[in-house]
Amino acid sequence: MEIEIISFGKISELISNQKIDFDGIADTDNFKLHLEHQFPALKSMKYKLALNKNIVQENTQIINKATIAIMPPFSGG
Amino acid sequence: MSAERYNRQIILKGFGEEAQQQLLKAKVLVIGAGGLGCPALQYLAAAGIGHIGIVDDDTISLSNLHRQILFTTADIGKLKVEVAAKRLQEMNTQIGIIRHPIRLQKNNILDIVSRYDYILDGTDNFESRYLINDACALLNKPLIFAAVSGFEGQLAIFNTPDHLTPSTNYRDLFPVPPDKGEIPNCAENGIIGVLPGIIGTMAAAETIKLIAKIGQPLTNKILNYNLLTQEQYTINISHGGDYTLPKTVDEFLNMNYQDTSEGPQGYIEIDASELVKLQQSESTILIDVREKHEVPVLDKQIYTQVPMSEFGAFLNKEFYQKHVVLICQHGIRSVAAAEALQEKYGDAKKIYSLKGGIVKWRDHFLRS
Repeated sequence: MEIEIISFGKISELISNQKIDFDGIADTDNFKLHLEHQFPALKSMKYKLALNKNIVQENTQIINKATIAIMPPFSGG
Repeated sequence: MSAERYNRQIILKGFGEEAQQQLLKAKVLVIGAGGLGCPALQYLAAAGIGHIGIVDDDTISLSNLHRQILFTTADIGKLKVEVAAKRLQEMNTQIGIIRHPIRLQKNNILDIVSRYDYILDGTDNFESRYLINDACALLNKPLIFAAVSGFEGQLAIFNTPDHLTPSTNYRDLFPVPPDKGEIPNCAENGIIGVLPGIIGTMAAAETIKLIAKIGQPLTNKILNYNLLTQEQYTINISHGGDYTLPKTVDEFLNMNYQDTSEGPQGYIEIDASELVKLQQSESTILIDVREKHEVPVLDKQIYTQVPMSEFGAFLNKEFYQKHVVLICQHGIRSVAAAEALQEKYGDAKKIYSLKGGIVKWRDHFLRS
């Protein structure tokens, strides 16, 4: 299954924009676990996922060719 | 009102006389007269927003001038609110400008926010952002949220329902603030002047669209803007629910927004004169928590260097000094370090953080 990852702010220093083939990742909870396993620094960071441009508020099924954005909070002014 | 002044937008198809009247009736509060607030204020005042309030308790410094374009070199040291208000009033003599030279806190924010119809958040720290979000949610005020980090910006409109979604707020994105030091701010991380210029101007545009009821404002959406690629990415926000939002004034007043003025934080923020006093004691250790590449370089005989990136390891070591003074560039990372040491030692050691950091007390550090 192909997933496109888009990351913002400080998180883009960890995870660059990329398309990856994921197998066995059916939903956003699984995706999050996989991501934090691969990038342990994420575990201690605040971020929000958006699946196909919709904020993920509960575990959501991921279908092939999905785009997942990873967004940290910004506070600068 | 002088129709001549606003002629070019009144004759614009899709804007017109009615929209102009809405702007003139509107009361907009801009919180933070900094990199975001300056351009936002300029366009809001020029467009003819009838009443504009400005909140900021800070004074102008030289390092503000590359992005805070309402201010000149001669304004250094003056209150931002005063200089901004005077300048804007000169730009547009037909509108009312209200000065609020204060820092918003739990005990004053509700009174001020309740006097306005629209709130624009251009502050530079998470404490203020959560305070403003919760106050606007409680008082049901539309909130235009603008923020920057590195070469990117975020823009959103909260507390405003649209035809699809009931109103959302910042906590639907990020239920609780990040830990201190997790997300660096402009003073720590740097910022290119034009970025808050763009995002602040976009925030003014969203405010005008919302008031004039034109186009599709970013209601229940968050836009991410990347200056380096000129790419924008807009995400739909839905209700999250896994957070506490104060529902009454009493609940609001009981929230913890980590104002430095309230609550027992344990460590003490000091100025340069207190630093000098502490320095004379044998049982004082001065710790510079900046990374090794940062300038100015301090005398390592006097200042022990423990960069934040190595602070975790340092926390496992022991040292004899009873007084610990933490120093960084702007006094932000040193607070995070002070909190960590305070948590480890409690009352066993006295922990201090130099408020404002090396930049604020530059003369002291260049002398010594």
